Amino acid sequence: MHKHPTLGLEVGLVLLGIVVALAVFAGVVAPLDPLRTGAVPLQPPSPHHLLGTDELGRDLWSNIAYGARVSLLVGVLSTLLSTVTGLAAGVAAGYYGRGVDEGLMRIAEVFQIIPGMLIALLLVAFFGGRLWTLIPVIALTGWPLPARVVRSEILSLREREFVLGARALGGRDVHIMWRHLLPNAFPPVLIGLPMQVGRAILLEAGLSFLGLGDPGAASWGKLLQSAQEYMREAWWLALFPGAALTATVLALYLVAEGLHARTGPVLQ
Amino acid sequence: MRSVTSRAVLGIVAVVLTGAPLAVALQPARFGGALVVATSSDPGTLNGGITTASPAHTVADSIYNGLVQLDAQLKPTPDLAERWTIAPDGRAYTFTLARDVRWHDGQPFTASDVKFTYEQVLLKYHARTRGGLESVLESVDAPTPTTVIFRFKRPFGAFLQRADVTEAPILPKHLYEGTDILQNPHNATPVGTGPFKFKEWTRGSQVVLVKNETYFKKGLPVLDQVIFRVLPQASLSMVALERGEVDYLDTLPPADVPRMRASKAFTILPTLAGPGGSFCINTGVFNLTHPPLDNLKVRQAIYYAINREFMVLAVLGGLGRVATAPVSAGVRWAHNASLPPYPHDVARANALLDEAGFGRGAGGVRFRLTYIAATPQIHSAEVIRDNLRDVGIDVNVVPLEFTAAQERTFVRKDFDLAFVSYCNGPDPDIGVKRMYVSSNIQPVLFSNGASYRNPRVDELFDLAAGSLDLAVRGKHYREIQEIVWRDLPYFWLVETFRDVGFNHDLRDPQYWAGNIAERAYWVKPR
Amino acid sequence: MSLLTYSVRRVVVAVPMLLSVAVLTFVLVHIAPGDPAYYLAGDGGTPAYYALIRQKFGLDRPLPEQLARYLWTVAHGDFGRSLQQGQPVLSLIITRVPATLLLVGSAFVVSAVVGVAIGALVAPRANGFADRAVLGTTALGSALPVFWTGLLLALLFSLRLGWFPVQGMMSSRGSPAGWARAVDVLHHLILPMTALAVQPLAAFSRLMRLKMLEALAEPFILTARAKGLPNARVMLQAARNAVLPVVTVIGGHAGALVTGAVLTETVFAWPGLGRLALDATLTRDYPVVMGVVVIASVGTVIINLVTDLAYAAVDPRITYA
Repeated sequence: MHKHPTLGLEVGLVLLGIVVALAVFAGVVAPLDPLRTGAVPLQPPSPHHLLGTDELGRDLWSNIAYGARVSLLVGVLSTLLSTVTGLAAGVAAGYYGRGVDEGLMRIAEVFQIIPGMLIALLLVAFFGGRLWTLIPVIALTGWPLPARVVRSEILSLREREFVLGARALGGRDVHIMWRHLLPNAFPPVLIGLPMQVGRAILLEAGLSFLGLGDPGAASWGKLLQSAQEYMREAWWLALFPGAALTATVLALYLVAEGLHARTGPVLQ
Repeated sequence: MRSVTSRAVLGIVAVVLTGAPLAVALQPARFGGALVVATSSDPGTLNGGITTASPAHTVADSIYNGLVQLDAQLKPTPDLAERWTIAPDGRAYTFTLARDVRWHDGQPFTASDVKFTYEQVLLKYHARTRGGLESVLESVDAPTPTTVIFRFKRPFGAFLQRADVTEAPILPKHLYEGTDILQNPHNATPVGTGPFKFKEWTRGSQVVLVKNETYFKKGLPVLDQVIFRVLPQASLSMVALERGEVDYLDTLPPADVPRMRASKAFTILPTLAGPGGSFCINTGVFNLTHPPLDNLKVRQAIYYAINREFMVLAVLGGLGRVATAPVSAGVRWAHNASLPPYPHDVARANALLDEAGFGRGAGGVRFRLTYIAATPQIHSAEVIRDNLRDVGIDVNVVPLEFTAAQERTFVRKDFDLAFVSYCNGPDPDIGVKRMYVSSNIQPVLFSNGASYRNPRVDELFDLAAGSLDLAVRGKHYREIQEIVWRDLPYFWLVETFRDVGFNHDLRDPQYWAGNIAERAYWVKPR
Repeated sequence: MSLLTYSVRRVVVAVPMLLSVAVLTFVLVHIAPGDPAYYLAGDGGTPAYYALIRQKFGLDRPLPEQLARYLWTVAHGDFGRSLQQGQPVLSLIITRVPATLLLVGSAFVVSAVVGVAIGALVAPRANGFADRAVLGTTALGSALPVFWTGLLLALLFSLRLGWFPVQGMMSSRGSPAGWARAVDVLHHLILPMTALAVQPLAAFSRLMRLKMLEALAEPFILTARAKGLPNARVMLQAARNAVLPVVTVIGGHAGALVTGAVLTETVFAWPGLGRLALDATLTRDYPVVMGVVVIASVGTVIINLVTDLAYAAVDPRITYA
């Protein structure tokens, strides 16, 4: 195989570390307010504005830095929400089986066959695109996957001795699920987390690019929407936000692939 | 030769015989062909009688006619009406209509179409006609198939300039009578009397019109086809113009104007008028029924907080000026030039809000407002939001597509702040009155969105319309502006100009109006 | 059982699934703030129109009855009328489907074929220069956001170089017929298709490479080589084994392609279903948005079915249980 089997993982972690640091220390490295209008619009990169300004005079470097916050916030929180929801559903479906399983998996399938972007469009049409609305919306596009993964694990674990033993001893269902099943079913889900976060970040960026995101948030996708309008005048608006987005997603994919490689072939 | 006279006659004949063909040959040849116009939004509807929105009129104004047409100086000239007379007391307008005019489906056009359009369509659904005429128009009569008489309750001076196709397109009675006007299928497959006939509409993409071979104005139109291409991105429509993919752009992005002027391939013309109206002011709308906007100090504070010079620079690219009165400075005889200004003064704004009792709470926020923004106007929204942040007002911007934004603002009235480009028109009675009269608080697009009521203002508008003397009318309009400036139901931001740009080989587009292509022609074959 | 029975069974199972999608839209209409009539009839209508809608959807009736009526209406292909345009939603959707099918279909085929080919070709030379180059570029490629790719392609090839048109599916002037029209559409298709295909292509080639390497390590390959079979045949055999799991992944990627299509259609003003969904969201044209969701789901189900059948047909080992 490779000479450095974990090169991908290491590169990914470093890149991710840079993005996280940028998000955390945005206020320090980019002291200008990203939403502050008033400066000269569409300036190219200069000592005063490191990456230039956008059409309303907002500093691009500040927007990139604070945009990291938005991307990571939305990506991580929505993934957390979808994972928790998926876990709960998957454990219940796997453990109780039959009617519960049938019902929950049917609902999951509905969210799986509708393409994620369309679910997002549908929900934004009804509920709007503010940041704290987007997080549950994106979570709804992602919960079926962890649910199915966990369910498969639970189905195979359910008949194992330690579970049967716990039941024989009169343990309550919830207790069994929490103490015995969940810790064993969790690892495969964990492996999938970086991919989920990457997917969520791309979805938020896509929605902002389409103009459906939160106009009050400094989002990389929103920057790219401006980039499209000022393609000829301001190449910096197109280049830097896209590069930031790609680097972040690449980091997450490398980490995901690295984890896959270390733990052997995993369920889909 | 026999006599001097004979020689002279022969000489003249000779000159004429050789000169005439020479003169004709020297005149630029007129070619038809197609004209491709870029427009930034899908029209939404092709019935110009139920909306004043410019995307709709950009297309619809070539399909229909009005009684008159406005020339480049915005003076009325004949359109469907050949001539007209105004009664000495100013209370009756009699129009004699052109003969042998037919609808695109072959039916004859008559005065009853005019009567029907005014009574059943314009007075119900067209914001400027409804706002302006409803209270003064007494009756519309069609005594003969080619005569229409408008009778007014009071002497009315402001009628001719609102009888063009942008303000009052005439619709076919035989297709609209007895139907639900708003749901009539001909709103999408229009039948008009105009120079171009509807061919097809691919939503979100383009509208194709073809030449009306039996247009009542002989020799017109010259063009064979007009295609309206929907290109939402201004930058890309620029590229399309330069590449020849489109021929005509009704709003040039300001940043590109100097470069286009320098190029010999295009004609650039400035104008203050257009299919959406003329003398337009970007206006912020306060919903006076939603506290805390019912508090005058709050409204004043908001007005002080906004950096309008920056809006002219960044949002309009320099193509505009700060608004100094509710009536555009372009309508000189009615504009009030001595109103106390509202400069950009953040300290004053903060002080007013403190005085009004709205202290800063958590995170420095005094209160929240919901702002409805149409997506083509999102930049203004972002500047306003940023400016209001400075005074502790947290603005929730809701971006909606243009028509959806207008519906939410005017029909649902579900907003705190809204943003509308209200066009004054060449006469304040046309486009200003509808914003302020209490009778126009209706679920009609572009009406009195603020829900402003002031009986004195209502009275003054009637007085102003009731005179034929511009000096008297001007005095009344100036008084209205004083009152309204004090009451602040709206916050008037910037007046907008635009530059029209088109291929150099195109001649005679009526670029100040909606029906740009009626007389236009190419000087080279396309 | 036979392939046919299997297919029929799958189709039968799909129907209630699609109705469940409709149930979802029904639920949304009723839990969203405001009057359900607003989501079905909009604001600009006359009282007569509202009365019609109330009657049709039984908005004054108990919920279960409303649900039944709603599903009945949807099952007949009646998704109501567009709030913005008054046209029946289904006919509006149908006019847009061909454009999206063309874009997504071509991107799908190109990304699948080229991706699998690259993966298969590069695997035997693992760790070589070509392999590393491919690994690097596909890593980058699979992380590229589709709308950024589209933007960059438009910037370079349309704006700077002028090789391709900037927007749309056809040029505005006239409507050329026959071959000229096809060429015109193709000319407009190249950039958006490439933008849409880049990311899946990168992902498929990486996966194919992985599966190919696994297949090449299998015992039967050694056997084949020991038997003296020519290298090309050995490779082909390995590829046939490797491609199966990749086919499943490719099929599962259909939903992501639709997501990508919405974004690509926006960048290039391509008049397809994705643009329709976006415009409908921006105009709050609920019947259209709901209609697109149901129709897109139908499409996804069909693609899943086709993928399953392709898999079943290709792999002689599985039985159709």
